[in-house]
Amino acid sequence: MTSLLSVESVDMRFGGVQALSDTNLKVDTGKITSLIGPNGAGKTTLFNVITGLLAPTSGRVYFKGWDITGLSVTRRSRLGIARTFQKLEAFNSLSARDNILVAAERRRRRDHSDHRRPADIADELLELIGLEDVSDITVGTLPTGTARLVELARALALTPTLLLLDEPSSGLNEEETKAVANLLRKIVSDDLAVFLVEHDMNLVMDISTEIYVLDFGELIAHGNPEETQSDPKVRAAYLGSH
Amino acid sequence: MEPEAQETPSRVPSDASPKWERPKAMRGVLPTLPLPSALRNPVVLMTIVGVAIVVVMFWRYWAGYDVTAATLLNATFIGIAVGALYAMYATGLVVVYTTTGIFNFAQGAIGVFCAFLFWELHVNRGWHTLLALFFVVLVFAPALGILLDVVLMRRLRTAPLVVQLMATVALMVLLLSLTGEIWEQDTIRRVDFFFGLKSSIEIFNVNILWHRLITIFTAIGLAIGLSFLLFRSRLGVAMRGVVDNRELAALNGVRPGLVSSSAWAIGSSLAALGGILIAPEVELDPTNLNIIIITAFAAATFGAIRSLPLTIVGALIIGLLRQHTITWLNFGSDFRFVSEAVAPVLLFIVVLALPRAQLTVGRLTTNLKQRERLTSPKEAIFGLAVLIFLALVFSKGWLNFGIWDPGEWGSAPLNSMNVAMGLAIMGLSLVPLTGWSGQINFAPLAFGGFGAFLYLKLAGIGGTNSGYWILLVAVLAAPLGALVAIPASRLRGLYLALASMAFAQAMAMLFFPHSAIIPSTAVGVQFGPIRLFGITFSERESYFMLLVSVFAVIVFALVLLRRSRYGRRWVALNDSQAASATVGVSVNLTKVIVYAISASIAAVGGAFWATSNGSLEGVRSFDVINGLEIVLLMAAAGVSIPLAGLFLIFRPVFEGLTERLYDLGNVDWLAQFFDVLTTFGPGLLALGMVINQRGAIYEMGRGFSPILPWRKDAREEISREWAQKRDTEFGELGIARPFTANEIITLDRRLGITDQVTPPGGYSSENNGSGSAGSDGNTSGDNTSGDNTSGNTTSGSD
Amino acid sequence: MEEMVATSEQISLDHEHALLDLVGIHAGYGTIDVLHGVELAVQPGQVFALLGPNGAGKTTTLGVASGQIMPSTGSLLLMGKEVTGTPPAVLARAGVCLIPEGRGIFPNLTVIENLRMITFAGVSFSDVLDRAFLQFPRLGERRKQLAGTLSGGEQQMLAMSRALASDPAVLMLDELSMGLAPIIVEELYEQVGHLAESGLSILIVEQFAQSVLGVADVAAIMTGGVIQRIGNPDEIAEELTEVYLGIS
Repeated sequence: MTSLLSVESVDMRFGGVQALSDTNLKVDTGKITSLIGPNGAGKTTLFNVITGLLAPTSGRVYFKGWDITGLSVTRRSRLGIARTFQKLEAFNSLSARDNILVAAERRRRRDHSDHRRPADIADELLELIGLEDVSDITVGTLPTGTARLVELARALALTPTLLLLDEPSSGLNEEETKAVANLLRKIVSDDLAVFLVEHDMNLVMDISTEIYVLDFGELIAHGNPEETQSDPKVRAAYLGSH
Repeated sequence: MEPEAQETPSRVPSDASPKWERPKAMRGVLPTLPLPSALRNPVVLMTIVGVAIVVVMFWRYWAGYDVTAATLLNATFIGIAVGALYAMYATGLVVVYTTTGIFNFAQGAIGVFCAFLFWELHVNRGWHTLLALFFVVLVFAPALGILLDVVLMRRLRTAPLVVQLMATVALMVLLLSLTGEIWEQDTIRRVDFFFGLKSSIEIFNVNILWHRLITIFTAIGLAIGLSFLLFRSRLGVAMRGVVDNRELAALNGVRPGLVSSSAWAIGSSLAALGGILIAPEVELDPTNLNIIIITAFAAATFGAIRSLPLTIVGALIIGLLRQHTITWLNFGSDFRFVSEAVAPVLLFIVVLALPRAQLTVGRLTTNLKQRERLTSPKEAIFGLAVLIFLALVFSKGWLNFGIWDPGEWGSAPLNSMNVAMGLAIMGLSLVPLTGWSGQINFAPLAFGGFGAFLYLKLAGIGGTNSGYWILLVAVLAAPLGALVAIPASRLRGLYLALASMAFAQAMAMLFFPHSAIIPSTAVGVQFGPIRLFGITFSERESYFMLLVSVFAVIVFALVLLRRSRYGRRWVALNDSQAASATVGVSVNLTKVIVYAISASIAAVGGAFWATSNGSLEGVRSFDVINGLEIVLLMAAAGVSIPLAGLFLIFRPVFEGLTERLYDLGNVDWLAQFFDVLTTFGPGLLALGMVINQRGAIYEMGRGFSPILPWRKDAREEISREWAQKRDTEFGELGIARPFTANEIITLDRRLGITDQVTPPGGYSSENNGSGSAGSDGNTSGDNTSGDNTSGNTTSGSD
Repeated sequence: MEEMVATSEQISLDHEHALLDLVGIHAGYGTIDVLHGVELAVQPGQVFALLGPNGAGKTTTLGVASGQIMPSTGSLLLMGKEVTGTPPAVLARAGVCLIPEGRGIFPNLTVIENLRMITFAGVSFSDVLDRAFLQFPRLGERRKQLAGTLSGGEQQMLAMSRALASDPAVLMLDELSMGLAPIIVEELYEQVGHLAESGLSILIVEQFAQSVLGVADVAAIMTGGVIQRIGNPDEIAEELTEVYLGIS
């Protein structure tokens, strides 16, 4: 069986800097896969390559078996790839509800029996994530944590098959982080894969099924949380002794 | 901040591009054309197109003069001299832009003002040339520059781009009207060439005016001096350091104010010198002199508003191209302004050849309303009904309070109101485009003029015209908008503003003057009356009511549009293009739609505008400045709010008022006040944006909405704000901010409170802890600790 | 709030005698809050290492300390004097020297021009040249070269020259080691060591503990915009791995 997402020998060079070298990884539905690594390892770059914001120097990206390397950002999202950003990219001058609506109106229906209108989707998500109280507040004036949740809701409004989350817990307090963890566990299904970049290791170890570790643009480890935690190469990467 | 997010594969080597130019990367969204790879480079492509245009021009419009070494040399020489003048303006622009981040649209106007001042001192008051020159260029201009920097420009550094642009455009308009007020335009002024028109030198059999030779040498001297300043002096190194890395320069101890003030002083000195030296070449006329600035913009874009040598090269290319065009080609009367169009067309080409704007992440939107509340259709209908009623009252002269004679209302004021309503509808075209999608457009009048042209072709002059032609105009104008969207979607921010200005100027110089477009017979002639729904709107009154109704209908449509998925998408696109793309919104298609809608609205406005008596006054009607006034007033009012369009009636209302007051005779001081207000109002209003970035209509709405019985939310918001103010003001012993932890320590020490066991960081938590521990003994303190978060009062009560 | 209680229980910072003192700092960018009550005090002559993962707020803390970021609440004290809200240029001339993350140099200026920029902190050009070229002779060989064309290590040396030449009261280093070969990092930290020996107060921010262990007197772990632990560098380094890998 082919993986939902497979990144094959992706290289990304910026001038003289090798941001990603020969990166190979697979993400499957029904699982939470995490990508970790020290500062500057190339995690966000990989997300940008997967979503089409960056074109890789070489290598291919496959989604559901299709080669999507040449597709535009918009086309990829219509195929079912949704993401959030490390630095908030909410629509700041729109209300929380309108943020979700913009995405819901561009939603790709999963099957023909799904007749929910965009407004229904927005209301469902506001309730699911607990944003009813701020639904008509301009997102730019919300605290970071809440705005991040709006961004998450917006990504989910696309009813994606692959959800890429870039540091969903940053700016969130402990309680909100737990809520996000529970939410992610809840939404992962046969129809949805979650791919996570995260610095909060408690969160990563808690919810991930599979972890990839990236250091200086290279994948140095791959395994379940326990294996990753005890991997000496991973420890060395985080201590900074190469 | 993750460094990986900063790395960029931009076309410019990263070390050569200053910080604000660094785009995040994205693949080109336009389909790749099946061209040889060299041709895919936009620079190469544009060069080929440009050369082709020039070749065709020379082949088609050759005037047939003899080409001799002398004539060729003469044209070349004048071209270089004129290019040197452009270079003075343009280098000033570049110095200011790179060091302060402000693109000074008023650069030309500063030159205009200084040229007039020079005329006043030298010609009118008989100062010696050198003394006048010294005073204007080295005393007055730098002082003006420093004043502008300190009073205005520094505050704008972090302001949104629209505010930055509007502020300098407003400054331009203000300086031009100030020049017009001080030196009344009924007399023709001339500044002589230095050493006169006769005094020339012969080089290679060509007589060369000393003035032009001096210009060239001055420019060379300036280039050397400027490079010496920038590369040898400590101040220059600091200026370049600020360009390279502003934050680091501050960390080095460089005073940012010193650098920005120096840049503004240099910039306006160069403008003054350029203005004075160019004045003899053209008649001393504010508008004519000011439009040279577009040439300077074009020259500056040659160097990507960054490189001084490339800017100078650009200025010389334009100067030579322009002069040779004038010398060798004859375009006939239809294309008589081709030489004026050289600069805007080149600007357009160069801007498009620049690397395409990339999808960027990490932009902060500030200055937001807390609660988003869109106008509901019901409210819109109510408000517009009120508007139409007021218009009716006005046009019938029902409410004149005995000040003016109702009979006279039928004439001049209503005419100018009709013209203004046409402009107001054009102003509405900016609401979805600039207000919601953030696409800056300095060419609403060019779109409007296109509508006028279409209507003219469809309906023609004279006879009764069916109003349905207007609908057809709207439909036909949409493709133009869509067409403009294609190059526009490559651009962002300042370059988009420049490109739209170039577009407006090119249209004004190439399109509208052509006899097949707006025939000269259309000047001052009223079109045949419009017939709609069986009514012929032949009277000024009824026509005014028609215009107000059309305005109201478009406003209503915009209200509905903003509430629709398209409105949301446009605002979203403005907030974050990258995020829009990742939620499946096609960035390009969305832009095409909004441009098409905007062009349609502007064309309708233009058609109505042209049919109002007195709007078409020859080619001058389409001057860039006239279009800028629409943009300026819309921005000052708040371009995201449709009702802002009403601000366009500013001028006729105030002009009418002024006239009436003068007529009354006994309130001359008031009349004069309104006269000044009419002249400077638009500029001053736009400068008001520096303080109130959301625009006047927003503030007016905020004051007005709590009165409306159904706006409970507005009343709540006001009371919340009041509560906040009260809390900070009286929260802590009457000072406006809470005590810092350190002040608390000092205070406690002074007061002899010694139970200080924890460091100040734990202060508030410590106090909360002790508060809960001793809650039984502190029942009266409960409500105070609820209101007062700092620990001061509780520790005092201990 | 919980975290703040934890802070006050575990350590006690000597705010009174501190050279650089941050008290209850809350700060951020626009509406994004990054720091939630940072307490930090650097004593005269002390080398203070601030460690923590990406996004913890370390760079923001330095931004506040150098005057680049205005805290929403809290105060910044320099030698016991409240200087909250003082612009960075003024603080720089008062002796606060921050070498920012990712090469604190002007890439389009030559080496010599970069050194000339240092004079704005109030030192003479000849002093700057003497000290910079004495410590880093390699810069002297490349004086006419554009700083952007130097190697990573040379760029960092150029950035470090400001610390050496401007005679600061307090030095702050942000991720000095980022992207550099270990041997160069070692060389640079040797210079930091010399500076520390001469009695300079230094605040070092690093993501990796390894490189600073040799020079730091005190270390602190920062996560989520608050300082979690302050203590002996070796102990802190061990804990840090746990923080990074989520072992608790």
